[in-house]
Amino acid sequence: MIRTILFALGGLIVAGMIHLTIVFLIPSLAGKDAWAQMARFGPDRQFHTIAQSQAGAEAVPDLDPRMMQAVCRFSLADGPVRITADLPDEFWSVAVFDRRGRNVYSLNDRAAERAHLDLVILTPVQMAQTRQNPPASLESAITLEQALDVGFVLIRAFVPDDSMLPAVTRSLAGANCAAAL
Amino acid sequence: MRFLIDLAVAFAVAVIVGVGSAWFAVDRGTIFGAVSAGGWTAWPQEGSADADPYTLAMLARTGEVPLGAGEGLSFTATRDVDGNPLSGRCDYDVAGNTPAARLWTLTAYDDDGALMANVAGRPGFHSREIVRDANGDFRIRLSAVVQPGNWLPIGAVDRFRLELRLYDTPLTTGSQLTELTMPAIRKVACS
Repeated sequence: MIRTILFALGGLIVAGMIHLTIVFLIPSLAGKDAWAQMARFGPDRQFHTIAQSQAGAEAVPDLDPRMMQAVCRFSLADGPVRITADLPDEFWSVAVFDRRGRNVYSLNDRAAERAHLDLVILTPVQMAQTRQNPPASLESAITLEQALDVGFVLIRAFVPDDSMLPAVTRSLAGANCAAAL
Repeated sequence: MRFLIDLAVAFAVAVIVGVGSAWFAVDRGTIFGAVSAGGWTAWPQEGSADADPYTLAMLARTGEVPLGAGEGLSFTATRDVDGNPLSGRCDYDVAGNTPAARLWTLTAYDDDGALMANVAGRPGFHSREIVRDANGDFRIRLSAVVQPGNWLPIGAVDRFRLELRLYDTPLTTGSQLTELTMPAIRKVACS
């Protein structure tokens, strides 16, 4: 009996290891994570508007149906990414996610203090290179220094009512995910 | 023989407890990092750069893109003030006020987290279109049939949940995540 209990305790220790292994492996094994899903909207390094969620037609789960979204997948391997957009004079926010869907940065229109979004994402190495010879056009941009290989940016823009829909759609369609530095 | 039985016991314990606890911990409604107030629960960790491994595993499985701390905070409720699960066959009042936020939206989802088809085709309420009383409080009636005033249509499903998204709220930057004013969900009647 005691021996069986000892074996069961040993099993518990292995159970702990299995538990940790599963939890840490899930992000790299999940095939339907946010990064993979965002590929469905079109090529990388471009913004794609996600239709507003409706009953029976939700492109991405758990998005606010009162918001309109645009998403862009990017890679920092070919250099820094600059994102520009002229957004409506209403609530909007922008969030940067890494490959695993971790939110590494987020900002709303009030914190940005303007309706124009100008965000530069670069790695620490690219940041150091840029500092040696900073382009004047970068002075007004928000710079986000993150050790990312790939990631995606999601812009959410509030649609107060359907009359605002054309204006919001237009400004999201004009969002640029590959602006010149 | 005895040894084989013991080994089988150890193996069964390892697999059942290991896989079971991992599944439980990663399933939606993870207990880690939850903040509860007045029947509403939020997971501020979801929108943080230092999200824990359980939160990351949950996000990877669902494919959700959570609100970042700079965007807002999302609260969810699955039960009324009496602790009963929310049912689409009942009418509810969501009354009171929300924590400070520049904008909020209230949306109803079915048990699987999908938006529900409803008679009005209205997916939710936001703070600008709501009628408030003299104190600034509001009362939203949840019902599958047409109601006067602030009416949030729901589908006639067994279970549903509410999501209150607070945009640009000081909650995400500070430690004031205690003693929150949240709207109370009270059952009115069932059909």
